[in-house]
Amino acid sequence: MSSMSPRRVIVAGAAVVAGVIVSFLGLASTRDAVALSIALAIVVAGGTMITSAPLRAGHPVLVRAATCATAVVAALVATFYFSATTDYNLATGAAMSIVLVGLSFLTGASGQISLGNGAFMGVGAFVMAIWANHHATTPIVLTLAIAVACGALVGFLLGLPATRLRGPYLAGMTLAFAVAFGAILNSFNSWTGGDGGLQLPTEATPPHWLVSLFGRSTPLLTTNTAWLTDITLVVTGVAFFFMANLFASRTGRAMRLIRDNDVAAELVGISLPRARVTAFVVSSAYAALGGALWTLINNSVSPSTYSFALSVTILSVVVIGGIGTIPGALIGGLIYAYSASVISWIVTQTGLNAQGNLASQLNGIIFGGLLIVTMIFAPLGLAGSIRHFWHQRQRRPAPDLNSPSTGPTLAPGS
Amino acid sequence: MDPILTSRIMSDVLGGVTNGIIYGLFALSLVLVWRSTGVLNFAQGAMPMFSTYVGMVVFAHYFGYWPCVALAIAAGFLLGGTTERLLVRHLYGKPEINPIVVMVGFLIVLESVAAAIWSSGPHSLPSPFSPIDFQLGGKPIAMSRFTLYEIGTGVVVMTLVAVLFRLTNLGLQLRASALAPEVSRLLGVRVGRMLTLGWILSTGVGTITTILVASNFFTGLTPQVMDGIFAFGFIAAAVGGLESPVGAILAGVGIGVALQFVGDYVNSNAIILVALGILVVSLMVRPNGIFSPRSTRRV
Repeated sequence: MSSMSPRRVIVAGAAVVAGVIVSFLGLASTRDAVALSIALAIVVAGGTMITSAPLRAGHPVLVRAATCATAVVAALVATFYFSATTDYNLATGAAMSIVLVGLSFLTGASGQISLGNGAFMGVGAFVMAIWANHHATTPIVLTLAIAVACGALVGFLLGLPATRLRGPYLAGMTLAFAVAFGAILNSFNSWTGGDGGLQLPTEATPPHWLVSLFGRSTPLLTTNTAWLTDITLVVTGVAFFFMANLFASRTGRAMRLIRDNDVAAELVGISLPRARVTAFVVSSAYAALGGALWTLINNSVSPSTYSFALSVTILSVVVIGGIGTIPGALIGGLIYAYSASVISWIVTQTGLNAQGNLASQLNGIIFGGLLIVTMIFAPLGLAGSIRHFWHQRQRRPAPDLNSPSTGPTLAPGS
Repeated sequence: MDPILTSRIMSDVLGGVTNGIIYGLFALSLVLVWRSTGVLNFAQGAMPMFSTYVGMVVFAHYFGYWPCVALAIAAGFLLGGTTERLLVRHLYGKPEINPIVVMVGFLIVLESVAAAIWSSGPHSLPSPFSPIDFQLGGKPIAMSRFTLYEIGTGVVVMTLVAVLFRLTNLGLQLRASALAPEVSRLLGVRVGRMLTLGWILSTGVGTITTILVASNFFTGLTPQVMDGIFAFGFIAAAVGGLESPVGAILAGVGIGVALQFVGDYVNSNAIILVALGILVVSLMVRPNGIFSPRSTRRV
């Protein structure tokens, strides 16, 4: 391996090009210039680490951290130049991709599926709003942590019996939870604000160090989309970093073995109930985190958002993106963020009556149809299919990530 | 004069039995599909919803109530059979999430298409039976001609299904192909046809349930009308045991009565919370359901 592999040359070249473009765009102040230089330095360093083969083999955790940091920093710099609408879409999609990667982990790891992740998002979203209304001075990171903990707790209580059973019990039970969620919110309406939902208190201001880094002057929570997007992106990066490690860890390998052959897993000493409950709790906690971020982005929470339809949409986008994979969750988040724009574009192109029945139901028809077609013809989704195609072009056997029934396999190296 | 018939407790019991018959009937349709093909059909509410729209809204211009009921059930048979042949047949032997995901997709498509054609507002299906409660000494009993129609239909359908499975040659073939498909095939049973028949029967039972639900003066027919019934029906099926038709019906009635008391004495929002609680506790205590025989799994 030469010291300057082609990949590193590409990364370095891209960094130089980006630097030139940025200086042509004209920087507003020296502070921005410093911030951008730091960002560029992180991108270059991260890119170099990611592409270095010996480092990938020797320190995979470091490389994963570099990947996440690079992606987040690149996205943060981009939000500085995006319009407010794009920022908002990006934040919504990023929070959704956290939910999707949690569901991906549950299915990819344990072979079970949740139809109630929209309701678990709702748990996080409402806990976030309730806590912020009662304790406006709590740091946002701590409030997020409380929301995640509540989501995990509800997941544990609900998943404890269902995950111990084989078969569709978890799916059915989470469906019942999703259908019931509206009534559950209503029965605590002195806290949840009934049909109107809750608003976040406006006194909450972002921490100043982050603001000064990106040249914003003490904005209020309600007005600054760029700041909210930045916070969401940082949290997304951290969540994906933990998930990437979990997928590759001993626990992750044990769970994949359970999915492929639970009898073999039990024989090598893995506790099936504990592993399944863990996977479900992780997925509920991730869903709650995504919901809490949505509350932050929108500054409010409404019970109608967290209907059964949301749970079904979550399932659709994660299956279309590629369930059980990390890139699939990112693709799914992107699809979710832009689905409304694409559908309204279709409506205007085909000349449908935008207020008509068909136009309002187009979302469900398209997503439901894609869900069926994807699951029957390409169960690996977009991410899996692209990977499959890539491996075929390289004339290497593709690892078949999503199909069990390849016979018993033993967990490697555990 | 018997004051017990008009008391609060008695009216809760009667109202609970009426709801419970609906839950039990729907749970039965879930169990029929689960036993014959090992699929928990998440579109089990949406498919009958669609056939009820086809039978009872499209043809309501031309025919009266009863011919429309017959047409809706026929549409249910057709939809159940074609779904099994065209959609579900690809999914046997795949990982267990594949049929779940596909049937959830089918659920969304059916609900969206129904709302696109017939709008999402309720359609009333006026039944020939009065929903006004019987009176006893100036006080209402929680019983009307309509609830008697619901309970009567439920009991007749359950009896017919039991007779079919227990007493006829066809029922024997159905049970055999669910229990031991390979052996049945060797003995000359057309297993593929039996699986299709299981779906046809189940969608038929589901359609009758939907007609009963939608004929109710207070509900009407909407694309989402069966979502809530699905939740309660699944809870009943899981508590009674997904393997056991009798268990599903009994659990349905029991849950219906229990929830009626919760709704009356606590409040209506607590109903579904208590139902979820019942499900959690019952799965902890009896994972395979109250009425299921202890099951073993072949490796």
